Amino acid sequence: MRISIWIIATLLSAGQASQRPPQTVTPQTYTPEQIQAGQTRFSSQCGFCHGRDAAGGETGPDLTRSVLVAQDLRGDKISPIVKMGRQEKGMPAFDLGDADVSAIVAYIHDQKAKAEAHNGNRRNVEPSDLETGNADAGRQYFDGAGGCAKCHSATGDLAGIGTRFQGLALLQRMLYPTAGRPAPAPAKVTVKLKSDETVAGTLVSRDEFTITLKDDTGANRSWPVTDVTITMNDPLAVHFDQLGKYTDTDMHNVRAYLQTLR
Amino acid sequence: MRFVFGFGLVVSLAAIALSQGVTPAMLLKPPVDSWPTYHGDYTGKHHSAFTQITPANVGQLTQAWKFQTTAGVKSTPVLVNGVLYVSAPDNVWAVDARTGKELWRYTQPRSDAFYIGHRGVAVYKDMVYVTTPNAHLLALNASDGKVRWDVVIADSKKGYWSTNAPLVVGNHMLVGVSGDFDNLPGQLKSIDPDTGKTQWIFYSTPPAGVDTGTPSGGSTGGQMWMTGTYDPELNLVYVGTGNPTPVLNGVMRPGDNKWTCSIVALNPDTGKLAWGFQVSPHDTHDWDAAEVPVLVDANFNGTPRKMVMQASRNGYFFVLDRTNGKNLVTAPFASVNWSKGIDAEGHPIPNSDKEPQRDGRLVSPNESGATNYRSPSFDPQSGLFIVSAQDAYGLYFFKPEHGDYGWAGASPSVAGKGFIRAIDYQTGKIKWSHPIGDGAGTAGVLSTATGLTFTGDNSVNLLALRTSDGTTLWHSNVGRIGNSPITYMLDGKQYLLVGAGNSLVALAVP
Repeated sequence: MRISIWIIATLLSAGQASQRPPQTVTPQTYTPEQIQAGQTRFSSQCGFCHGRDAAGGETGPDLTRSVLVAQDLRGDKISPIVKMGRQEKGMPAFDLGDADVSAIVAYIHDQKAKAEAHNGNRRNVEPSDLETGNADAGRQYFDGAGGCAKCHSATGDLAGIGTRFQGLALLQRMLYPTAGRPAPAPAKVTVKLKSDETVAGTLVSRDEFTITLKDDTGANRSWPVTDVTITMNDPLAVHFDQLGKYTDTDMHNVRAYLQTLR
Repeated sequence: MRFVFGFGLVVSLAAIALSQGVTPAMLLKPPVDSWPTYHGDYTGKHHSAFTQITPANVGQLTQAWKFQTTAGVKSTPVLVNGVLYVSAPDNVWAVDARTGKELWRYTQPRSDAFYIGHRGVAVYKDMVYVTTPNAHLLALNASDGKVRWDVVIADSKKGYWSTNAPLVVGNHMLVGVSGDFDNLPGQLKSIDPDTGKTQWIFYSTPPAGVDTGTPSGGSTGGQMWMTGTYDPELNLVYVGTGNPTPVLNGVMRPGDNKWTCSIVALNPDTGKLAWGFQVSPHDTHDWDAAEVPVLVDANFNGTPRKMVMQASRNGYFFVLDRTNGKNLVTAPFASVNWSKGIDAEGHPIPNSDKEPQRDGRLVSPNESGATNYRSPSFDPQSGLFIVSAQDAYGLYFFKPEHGDYGWAGASPSVAGKGFIRAIDYQTGKIKWSHPIGDGAGTAGVLSTATGLTFTGDNSVNLLALRTSDGTTLWHSNVGRIGNSPITYMLDGKQYLLVGAGNSLVALAVP
């Protein structure tokens, strides 16, 4: 049992999705038929340079991030460029009928709308997402098979917990209570020195070589672990072992039961 | 705009030393006074034949020098001609390996790309190559850090970034990228190290409109963000591929999602796939198979075999025949509750009940995984594969409202306990397990021919363990180890080099 002061943020840091494309100035809608027809035209006429998804290719830019496309309204800016080309930038003119160009415009706008809707960041969990458990079954597990009642009481330490925590916060507090208020109880530890003196307190830190506790006076005291005999009551260790025993149903039931303790 | 700080005299001395540079032939047989690639050699064993530091004198290890950087050292340094090159995002430092003195520093302003860490650099001829958060590859003069060229590897505006330490094979520089928050095809590029021109691209998942011959079932991702290994006899490069995207929404990408979460064997001259082995079919937990594919030539059940071994983020240890990708061992090395067993070909079978759900699933391991990118080691004497492992639990959520783009869900960790574990490669059984504290370890592993294993705990200690049984022989409070230790010989002295906090610390016995 070790309490570490380190929080591993390495790979759990909040994500950042791609840079957002410029917002379409005038929202516009197209029929699925127009978009479908446009996809076929775009793929054959434009995809080689701009990518088949309009998101850029080897030589042509990403049209979903184009400022010109953002400012376009039903082809008023895109159509002339398709028909006339942009010789200075290496884009040829395309001899296409109005219907084909309109379909291409529809497809580009649809691809752009999809790109604008992209939010690839980590998502939230709502309290209502977690309301699947059975509180009665949870109480039975709490009092029986789960063994929770060996340390906890619905009318004692957990009274009102359903008011203080909801949803995911309650589930996390239940599974492994390391955060939130009131602060969870720290591990109680007794150290017996070689002189037979014993020092009791709460655990501050422990690794393979050193143990540090806070004694009754509030002072931190440290010893090499080889110099002392350690007796520890660490409630978190019991919680960790329980993680390997819960079924998902047990877990949701107990959370539902705790949510009723208001 | 880029800034380079240098010191004229030392730079010119280093320039003389570097005149011979790194050649493909040298990389096939690295000199003892070098650690010329991310893994030190092409096998990725992270094992040293040096015998100067022993169980008898390890207690006398003392600091030879310490070099302070401005960022946590997560990267593995490269050593060529007495100069260490160590990186952090947007930064490379060239450091005299005898004294710890800075020779030059390359730094560039922060971009608006994604920042997470950096693995390291590559050196070839007289140039140092570094990837950047905004997915460029820079070629720097090894003598003074000046930029010789700068090419774009992938479009960071679309969500790509790079932390990758490139791998040099012949005249190919293999460069990978990352990108989990957008649906991006997995790509590994081979770049001409002289010119920066692209030679080939291997796609682990097909881009729109490209037929790679292997449908991915609608999945993107499978980024190859870790440095691979290389077998010159077979002329195959081995690379681990990352998780599929969208990450937690498995509903929109049915099937196995090849070649995500796989070990792939590629021809370095063409980028063609020789074979692939998927260690996590249809992953829905962000468990990249990017971990080091370690190459070992040894007996397996009495028959000499060319093998590739990986302790994967999903909690399973794999041994494959690297000539053809056939599975020899699949065994858990940490707590796992997401599979229904192993199929006839050695793939874990995902349990659909443990896919992310609206009300959450309690899954082991957690998102950071049963292990991660930091190097394991393989000790040939004992046949032990030694790896930083974690028994961990996390919660996984997905509902249709989370969409089908990027992360597409939530995956908070619950708790984990870290260990250094030694695995018998022929059976997959755990020979010993050394606790290192709560959470995932942040130190890689280095073993040596004297039966020593160097690593770090989750407190502030550098550890020397006895390789045969995991007993601690020595420790030193040098700071939290954040990278994979390396070792090298200079002027007849064996150095141990670790990243501790923001520092690079070199140790030796008197």
